[in-house]
Amino acid sequence: MTKSAILTDLTQCIGCEACALACKEINELPKDTPLHLLTASTWSAVEHRNGVNIRRQCMHCEEPACVSACPVAALEKTASGAVIYDAGKCMGCRYCMVACPFAVPKYEWDKSIPTIQKCILCYETALSRGAEPACTSACPTGATIFGERDALIREAQNRIAAHPDAYVNHIYGLREAGGTSVLYLSAVPFAELGFPANIMEDAYPKLTWKVLSKIPNIVSTGGVLLLGIWWIINRRIKLQDDHPSSV
Amino acid sequence: MKLSLPKPTFWTIVLAFIWILGIYAVFTRFYYGLGAATNLSDQFPWGIWIGFDILVGVGLAAGGFVVAATVYIFNLKTYKPIARSTILTAFLGYLLVIGALMIDLGKPYNVWHPLIMWNHHSVMFEVGWCVMLYTTVLFLEFLPVLFERFRLERPLRIIRSITVPLVIVGVLLSTLHQSSLGTLYVIVPDKLHPLWYSGLLPLYFFISAIAAGLAMVIFESYLSARAFGKELEFSLLAQLSRIIVLVLGLYLMVRVQDMSSRGALQYVFDGSQESLYFLLEVGLGVLLPIILFLTPKIRNNTAGLFLGAVFTLLGFVMHRLNVAITGMTRSAGVEYVPTWMELAVTASIVAAGIVIFRYAAKYLPIFSQEEAFGVHPPPLVSAGKSGRLAMGLLGVLLLAILIGLGFGWMQEKPVDLHLRIESAVAQPASTLELPLPIVYEMGEASPGAVTFSHENHIDPSAPQCKTCHSGIFKMRPLKAGALGSVQMDLLYEKKQCGICHNGDDAFNVEDNCEVCHVAIDE
Ligand code: HEC
Ligand code: HEC
Repeated sequence: MTKSAILTDLTQCIGCEACALACKEINELPKDTPLHLLTASTWSAVEHRNGVNIRRQCMHCEEPACVSACPVAALEKTASGAVIYDAGKCMGCRYCMVACPFAVPKYEWDKSIPTIQKCILCYETALSRGAEPACTSACPTGATIFGERDALIREAQNRIAAHPDAYVNHIYGLREAGGTSVLYLSAVPFAELGFPANIMEDAYPKLTWKVLSKIPNIVSTGGVLLLGIWWIINRRIKLQDDHPSSV
Repeated sequence: MKLSLPKPTFWTIVLAFIWILGIYAVFTRFYYGLGAATNLSDQFPWGIWIGFDILVGVGLAAGGFVVAATVYIFNLKTYKPIARSTILTAFLGYLLVIGALMIDLGKPYNVWHPLIMWNHHSVMFEVGWCVMLYTTVLFLEFLPVLFERFRLERPLRIIRSITVPLVIVGVLLSTLHQSSLGTLYVIVPDKLHPLWYSGLLPLYFFISAIAAGLAMVIFESYLSARAFGKELEFSLLAQLSRIIVLVLGLYLMVRVQDMSSRGALQYVFDGSQESLYFLLEVGLGVLLPIILFLTPKIRNNTAGLFLGAVFTLLGFVMHRLNVAITGMTRSAGVEYVPTWMELAVTASIVAAGIVIFRYAAKYLPIFSQEEAFGVHPPPLVSAGKSGRLAMGLLGVLLLAILIGLGFGWMQEKPVDLHLRIESAVAQPASTLELPLPIVYEMGEASPGAVTFSHENHIDPSAPQCKTCHSGIFKMRPLKAGALGSVQMDLLYEKKQCGICHNGDDAFNVEDNCEVCHVAIDE
C-alpha cells in the first residue's frame, strides 16, 4: 500500500465547504453543526481567516503524538498513512487530545459514553478499498488533492518553483512534527493562519520515549540498589546483635 | 478512646451536604455527559479532576512509599509507629484516585483495557499499570492490619515474610508512577508554559512528591494526634522536617538551574498571570516552608511543624494545578474555571477519604505501637449514626453512577454546546465568493445570449458545489478565462445543463428556449 497523503493549496480554495459537507456525508456525521470549526461532528472544517479559506483536518502525522499517547492503542498509524481510531478499545482518558500538537482529536462532551472524533482519511470507506477520500474527490477547484506523499511533495515544490511570488516558500507538513501526511501551500505565512507556529520539527513521541526508554534501567538498578541497601543494613544489625562488643 | 467530633451534628450535616451535591454532579456527568457537569472543552480536555484528584491525590499518597522504605529497607525502626497510618493514607489515596478516574474517564468500564491492549510507548499506559500494581502492593502492605484485627495468624505470617520484596516493589512502582505523572506533560512542549515545561518534569514530580509525602506524614500525625488524643511522635516528625528542607532545597536548585538553561527565567517577573502563579507557588510553597523549618522557634513545636507541612503541601498542590491548568491556559485560548459540580465531586472524594481514614483508625490497629496480638482489639461496634450516614451516602454515590450510566446509555440528551463552541472561536462572516454571472458566447444560430447565474443556482448556506463541479463542469478552464463549451445537442440528451433542466428537477429545455436564450436585438 502506498503512503497516501493530501495536499491542500490554500491559494486555490474558494471556501465552498464542499469538502466539509462530503466528509459529513460519508462519515454520517450530524449536519447541523458549524463547518468552520473542528468539532466532534465536523472532522473536516473550512475556516475563514484574514481573507483566506483554510481547510482544517487531522494532519495524519508520520509519527503521531496521539498514537504514542494512547494507553490502549486505540489510535493507530496505518501503512496507508491514515491515523485511525478504534472506539471499542478507547477508555476515554483524552490524553490524545492533550498530546496532539495540532489540537485535532475532539470529544463528544454531550454524551454519557463519549468517544474521540477525528478525520480518519476515510480509511474504511475509501482508502482501504483503494479509493480516494470524500473530501478531495468533492473539491471543485482541485485545491485539495489526494495522492502519494512523495508525489505530492514534488507537486508542491513544482508549484512553488513555477510561481514563487504566489506562495510563501514553505510546504507546511513537510517537516512539522516530524512530517505529516497532510500538506499545505499558502500565499500567506502559516503563522498568520492559525497554524501552530512554534511546532517542533522533530516527532513528538520521541520526547516521551526518551524518558520511557529509561524505565528498564531504573527498575533494574533501583531494585538491585534497594536490595543491596537492605542486605547491608540488615547484616550489620545482625552482626551487632550477635557480637555486641565487636562494634 | 472514643471518637468525638467537636460538633457531630454540624459536621454530619456538612458532610451530607457535600455528598448530596457530589451525587448530583456524578449523576449529571453520567446522564448528560461531561460537558454538562464540567467546564471541560475540546480546547481544555483535562481539568481539576485530573489536576487535583489524580495528580495531587497520587502525590500526597507518596508518604506511603517513603516511610515504608525508611522502615523496612533502611531499617530505621524508629519510624515504625507512623508506618501504618501512612500506608493506610496511601492505600486510601489510590482507591480514591481510581474512584475519581472512573468519573472522569469517558468509558470507565474500559479502564482495564491496558491490561491486554498494550502500547508501551504511552506514558498513560505506564501510569495505568503503576496505579494497578501499586494499589495491589498497598493492599498487600495493608493486609497485616486486617489480619491482626481479625487474628488470622497464618496469613499474617505469610505476608510478613514477603514484606521486604513487597516494599522494594512498592518503592520502584512509586518512583515510576510519581515521575510518570510528570512525563505525561513532556509531550506538550508548545502547550505548557515555559515556567513549568521542562524535559525534567518527571524528576520534579518525583522530588516534590517525596517532599509532599513527608509533609503529609507530619500533617496527618498532627491531626490524628488531636483527633484521637494520641501521643505525637515529635522527635520523628522534627527529623522528617529536616529531610523535607533538604528535598525542597534540592528541588528548588534543580528547577532554577534548569529554567536558566532553558531561558525561562525571563518569564518569572514579566507580570503575566503565569508569573504571578509561579511566584506564589515557589514563594509560599517552597521558600516559605524551608524558612519555617529552618527557624528554630518554629521547628521546635508541633504547631510550627504543622504549619511548615501545610505550606509544603500547598506548594505541591499549586505545582500540580499550575502544570495541569495555569500553564495550559494560554495555549488553549480559553479560560478554564471548574464548575461547582467539578468542585463538588472533588470535595466529596476528599471527604470520603477523611471519613474512611477516621473509621479505619478507630476500628483497626493503625496507631498501635506493639504488634496488636497482645492487645485487645477494640470491639467491632456499629459505626454509629454518622458512620451509617457516610456508608449510606457512599452507596448512593455508586448508585448514582450506575443509574446515570444506564439512563445516559438509553437516551443521549444533547446539551447546548454550540454556544460554547461559537464563543470559543469568533468567526467572521463566510467569505464564499461566487463568480459573476457568466455570459456564454453565442454559438452558430443561437437564439440569444445565455446567462448563467451562480447566485440563482446556489444556496449560500450549503453550497453543494460538487453537484456540478468538477463532474459535469470543469472549473479550471474557467479560471483560465475560457468557458467550457455547452452544446444544445447535449442539453437535449439531458447532459450538461440538461441534467437538471429536464422538466423534473428544473424547467425543461424543450419548452423554455427563451428563459435561457435572451434575445439581444429587441
Ligand atoms: C444542478 C441542477 C442544475 C444545473 C446543472 C443547471 N441548472 Fe439552471 N436551474 C436549476 C434550477 C433548480 C433552477 C430553478 C428554476 C426552476 O424553478 O425550474 C434553474 C434555473 C435556471 C435559470 C433561470 C433563473 C435565472 O438564473 O435566470 C436559468 C437561466 C438557468 N437555470 C440556466 C442554466 C444553464 C445555462 C445551465 C448550464 C450551464 C444550468 N442552468 C444548469 C438547476 C440547474
Ligand atoms: C438551460 C438553458 C437553455 C435552454 C432552456 C435552451 N438552451 Fe440553447 N443553449 C444554451 C447554452 C448555454 C448554449 C451555448 C451558448 C450559445 O451558443 O449561446 C446554447 C446554445 C444553443 C444553440 C447554438 C448551437 C448549439 O447547439 O450549441 C442553439 C441553436 C440553441 N441553443 C437553441 C435552443 C433552442 C431552440 C432551445 C429551446 C427548444 C434552447 N436552445 C433552450 C442553453 C439553453
